[in-house]
Amino acid sequence: MQTLQENAIAASEKESGLRFYLSREPLILALLSALAVVSFLAVGGLSRIYHAQRESLGNRWFMRGSGDLQQRHFELAVNEFRTALLYSRNNYAYQLDLAEALIGLKRTNEAYAYLINLWGREPENGLVNLDLARIAVQKGETDQALRYYHNAIYAIWPGDQEAEGRNARLELIQYLLAIKAMTPAQGELIALAANLDDDPAMHARVGDLFFQAHDYEHALAEYRLSLKVDQHNSAASARAGTAAFQLGRYDLAQRYLEEAVTANPDDLQSADRLKTTELVLKMDPFRRQISVDQRHRIVIEAFTAAGERLNSCAAVGNSAGTASSAKPRLADEWAQMKPQITEQGLRRNPDLVETAISLVFDIERQANAACGSSTGIDMALLLISKLHEGN
Amino acid sequence: MDDLPISQTVILAEPTQAVPTASAPIRSRGALLRSVFREERLFLVLSVFIGIFSGLAVVCFRFAIDWCRIYLLGSGFTLSPTRMLLAPSLAGLVIAALVIHVFPLARGSGVNQTKAALYIYNGCIPLRTAIGKFITAALAIGSGHSLGPEDPSLQIGASLASALGRRMRLSRDRMRLIAPVGAAAGLAAAFNAPISAVLFVIEEVIGRWTAGILGSVVLSAVSSVVVMRWFLGSESLFRIPAVQLERPSELVAYSILGVVGGFASVAFSSGIETLRPWCKALPRWTQYFQPAIAGLLIGIIAVLGAPQVMGAGYVYIDEAMHGQFTWQMLGILAGLKIVATLLSFVSGTPGGMFAPTLFIGAMLGAAVGGAEHILLPHLSGSPGTYALVGMGVLFAGFLRAPMTSVFMVLEVSGNYSIILPVMVANTFAYVISRGLRPVPIFDVLTRQDGLDLPSMEEQREEGILRVEDAMRAATGPILDAEETLERAFQRVDEKTPDVLLVRLRPTGWSSITKQNLETMIKEGKSGQTLSSVLAGRQIPYLHPDHSLDMALRYVDRWPLVPVVNRADFSKLEGVISEHDVLTRYRDFGEG
Repeated sequence: MQTLQENAIAASEKESGLRFYLSREPLILALLSALAVVSFLAVGGLSRIYHAQRESLGNRWFMRGSGDLQQRHFELAVNEFRTALLYSRNNYAYQLDLAEALIGLKRTNEAYAYLINLWGREPENGLVNLDLARIAVQKGETDQALRYYHNAIYAIWPGDQEAEGRNARLELIQYLLAIKAMTPAQGELIALAANLDDDPAMHARVGDLFFQAHDYEHALAEYRLSLKVDQHNSAASARAGTAAFQLGRYDLAQRYLEEAVTANPDDLQSADRLKTTELVLKMDPFRRQISVDQRHRIVIEAFTAAGERLNSCAAVGNSAGTASSAKPRLADEWAQMKPQITEQGLRRNPDLVETAISLVFDIERQANAACGSSTGIDMALLLISKLHEGN
Repeated sequence: MDDLPISQTVILAEPTQAVPTASAPIRSRGALLRSVFREERLFLVLSVFIGIFSGLAVVCFRFAIDWCRIYLLGSGFTLSPTRMLLAPSLAGLVIAALVIHVFPLARGSGVNQTKAALYIYNGCIPLRTAIGKFITAALAIGSGHSLGPEDPSLQIGASLASALGRRMRLSRDRMRLIAPVGAAAGLAAAFNAPISAVLFVIEEVIGRWTAGILGSVVLSAVSSVVVMRWFLGSESLFRIPAVQLERPSELVAYSILGVVGGFASVAFSSGIETLRPWCKALPRWTQYFQPAIAGLLIGIIAVLGAPQVMGAGYVYIDEAMHGQFTWQMLGILAGLKIVATLLSFVSGTPGGMFAPTLFIGAMLGAAVGGAEHILLPHLSGSPGTYALVGMGVLFAGFLRAPMTSVFMVLEVSGNYSIILPVMVANTFAYVISRGLRPVPIFDVLTRQDGLDLPSMEEQREEGILRVEDAMRAATGPILDAEETLERAFQRVDEKTPDVLLVRLRPTGWSSITKQNLETMIKEGKSGQTLSSVLAGRQIPYLHPDHSLDMALRYVDRWPLVPVVNRADFSKLEGVISEHDVLTRYRDFGEG
């Protein structure tokens, strides 16, 4: 009897314990944990479908945008890249192409917002730096432009790293030339020239840039390198001749200009410059390897030309009403010296050669300043005077 | 503990649970488990689960909104006019039918419903409401109605929490708190901003700070954000522009933004306050068409050139922050968004007000910034900063959550330097909005719905009565515990009040009546000291700054309660009785 009672009590206690566990917190928490895991897995599955769909939509719109960007349909491209970004807001490529399209539409402020964000993520990206530099150029922020251009030159580029860096430097140089920053432009050009391969077109282009930077020495060197590989490039010959002309190396100028004119008779500018070069070479009394008589003849011819220039300049000066105050003195000097400037006179007094030529140079310089640039023999005399300036 | 009144000390020292013994194995194990899972600890553990489930629900809600958007409006950035007109209109018809026939409690934003659960329904929000809110709000936002996902997420979280609490058979007190815990989780996941969510729920729903509530709310918010970030990533809702306050004088420009934002908030809330009752008063059959008509009008606004007003609009907030609109366009968008949101909200379409508020604030901020940049170029910063500050301004002015508004911008921007502009601008907006419309929008909505929920703002502003307002100077002698009864009795005369205070050594207070004193002397105890006859009969004391409510707890049990100095408990500042308290309350009520 007692055992039965004990069993009943035990059963009752067991039953109440089971009820306790079923209704109390530990079991419910365990069930909640299980439910959380199952829910997590279910939402995970849903999430994969969601993200896959978004990725697919993003890619589809990006591809469309890229096509339109290539065809320079910037407006369409902007919309398509924006749509792509709806599905992958932080996608680097989408943002970069959107910025490119916005730049294409000249919406630089918007482009800048994307680019600066991208720059924050990858400061070493070449394209981002180059685009930022271009925007800084448009905004007139020179310091920023130089900073981003330099970043772009040394940045990481997809594909041909060297070529992209070189193009970025070329763009920087063009910018520096545009803002008349000649010294930094020359510095960048020297750095660029040091790393060029044997591409004659590139050497010619760099030569042009040196020329624009008024660095004729380096320009001539680049043209010569270009012509070394491609001798039949008449344009390079013409520009080499011009550079040599600017440097006062008229022998060399004559050679290149002759080549240019021979190769391209329609190049009137080179032909004109060649004539001047030949006159300079012909009229220079201080040339070596010419006889005394020949020198005297040159002096006489130059003296006569200077007199004519004096007369024509006086006429021009009077008509313009801007006669130089120094001219009457030069005219007097010229008139005073005129009887002595003969072959005999010069032979008798060799010092007159120096004095006469000095007066000729003075007349040409003054006339050039007072009456504008000269042509023909006067131009040649002026160039000769510059050539021997300080001697 | 030292400066707590005795009665409080007594209340805190409740009997502890029985220690389990080996003689009752099942009961002892049960007691052990019960002690481990005591309700308050269980509540904390449950908060984590609430956070996890709310986070998962919010993630699914985001999926649903995006899918609705793709399938209803199209996957492109530029929407087709036909879809812009048809999607919100047709979705409006479906939503109206669902709200009227299947989910009647899904109407509205969700914040007030959560407050109602806390204060009226003992924390109970039917799970059906969450399901209804999920479906109808996803449909509304996805189809282009000008509403946001945050407030529905808040209600979904609260509803899930309530369901869990009911299943766990929590006590009534805990049940009341569980909905706000879920609300914080839902809001945190939707906003990806746990601090703001916690602050909002504390500031606007619960209205008080206690360690127990704060712990649960924080745990649920953090766990929901972790879950949300697991599935959706940790990126913020918009790209944050570089923010910098270069000169203190720029604060003048931000003050102007605060003023403009304050007036815009007033216009927005006035619109809702006026139009909502008007729409509700229309014949019942019109409720089937109100969301559809609102959707159609929003579609027309979109087709006419402002598709930005459709949906939550986070993409456009991002664009406004990065200077992609002119200031004139930004101003127009802010105005049109107010109109679109008014249409959606007053038509009874389920959806939230947070995202539209942020949108309007961002547009308005960037517009004011742009205009100031032209007028006061030396005072203004970047439009992005103005957009960020503008969001906080509208939050403070329209939703009237000043603390949340500051922390929300701080949390979203992740930049401390923005705090000064935000504080300055928000203060202006809040003060203007409060001055022109004393009742906050959430309270307006509850009153329009025929409910009377406590207004957190009114509670914050309410002046409370303190002990010092009711206490009076002690009139009779203050007896010393070491005095003999005879000596004490000598100090008593006819004018002495009936109750006498006794200062105990080293600290504490007791009291004795004149009658008791006389009786004890007659009993031959005249040589005994007061301390010996009053042993263990301490009475509570109060401090002058205690609330009068606290005094009310004691004055019905002790006829005279001493009010003592906080630095020196033996120094009597005054006394207070039940009559004093009631008189003060009566005067206050009449005043």
